[in-house]
Amino acid sequence: MEEPVIVCENLTHYYGNRKIYENLSFEVAPGNIVGLLGKNGTGKTTTINILMGYLKPRGGSCRIFGEDVQRISPATRERIALLLEGHVQYSYMNIAQIEKFYSAFYPKWNKDAYYGLMEKLKVAPGQIISRMSNGQRSQVALGLILAQNADLLVLDDFSLGLDPGYRRLFCEYLRDYAKAEGKTVFLTSHIIQDLEKLVDEVIIMDYGSILVQESAKTLMAKYPGETLEDIFIDLTGKY
Amino acid sequence: MNKMIIYKEWLKTRWALLGVVLTFAAVTFYCFLNLSKVVEIRGAELLWEALVEKDTVLTEILKYLPLAAGVILAACQFLPEVTHKRLKLTLHLPYPQGRMLLNIALYGLAVLAVIFALQALVSALILKQWVVWELVARILRTMAVWYLAGWAGYLFAAAVCLEPTWKMRAVLLVLAAGFVALLFKSEVPEAYNGFFPVLLLYVVLSVSLLYYGVARFKEGKQD
Repeated sequence: MEEPVIVCENLTHYYGNRKIYENLSFEVAPGNIVGLLGKNGTGKTTTINILMGYLKPRGGSCRIFGEDVQRISPATRERIALLLEGHVQYSYMNIAQIEKFYSAFYPKWNKDAYYGLMEKLKVAPGQIISRMSNGQRSQVALGLILAQNADLLVLDDFSLGLDPGYRRLFCEYLRDYAKAEGKTVFLTSHIIQDLEKLVDEVIIMDYGSILVQESAKTLMAKYPGETLEDIFIDLTGKY
Repeated sequence: MNKMIIYKEWLKTRWALLGVVLTFAAVTFYCFLNLSKVVEIRGAELLWEALVEKDTVLTEILKYLPLAAGVILAACQFLPEVTHKRLKLTLHLPYPQGRMLLNIALYGLAVLAVIFALQALVSALILKQWVVWELVARILRTMAVWYLAGWAGYLFAAAVCLEPTWKMRAVLLVLAAGFVALLFKSEVPEAYNGFFPVLLLYVVLSVSLLYYGVARFKEGKQD
């Protein structure tokens, strides 16, 4: 059996005295698309930050491709494509400049994957990313992570600020790409209805713990007639 | 990869650098235009007298330019990295993080060094027309501390940008103000000759403040 791509054991974190979670453990198997769902403040972005080595947890450990996330080597980072919340990019660059920059760092860079998406963008060649709409910026971000040809894609709230058209484009491209290339995807999102057709497995967090971690199909079979969003609200409660 | 790191820094800083270079050129031109007028009307002997007897180096108008250039360049390089936590993108690149930070800082220090060297060279070439080389050297040795302040301003401003909490930024600002004030404390020409190497060492060591800020960022320190 292949080693899990992500392994987190007994993760515990606090912001000051506020507990985010305690003894959180989960694994992500290779080739799976896993969605981390939860209400605001349950620790989704905290988990992404810990996985990427931007936050030291109070307790527990995480490994990606067998390496401690606090000390991921450049060779392993080459295998991980990261999308930050808000599609944050080097917004002082235009689409050609940012492609030129990133391609130098990734030997498996797929230029066609990037420019294939960029052709759909209606932007002037010299237009810098900061002058683009949210949707256009998300397309640039998607193009960059697809072109990296990484083994693991980590996306934090990939649908933030996107209209339904761009969200659908994003989900369809991502799923087709991940399944065709056997990539592992770990993502968070607030828009749960997008995830129904995208994810293989869901992890639903509540304040302080994991409520559910199982395949999306199995979960939805337990709640016949309900959407994933309905199930999420049933499990976590309305506000 | 190193070329692309320089490329990225160039894209961030090119317009600011143009402004800095033009300002340096304009103020330096103004400085020596004034001196040339003095020489034309009163003769170079007046410059000699001022240099030898009056504790002046004639180029005091240039004093704070390097410091301003250093702070502006640091802001142009590092503010874009920390807004929206874009530093996460840079740290995620498949390149040793320590070397990445060093290369970014070396770009800034090198660009400042080139600007300062050009100004010093132009100053030397013009002054040599009016005074002997020993007096030109005295002026350049005095100006060297101003250039050191430029580098110090750059490194401290970068450290302030990279620091994730306001409390520690305040501490760094106090340290920066204290160190820079020390560099400008004496107006006596060549007053710092004796311990210039120590000051240079302190400035070089202050590169470590950048690493400290990034380490705190990676630990998740926040206000």
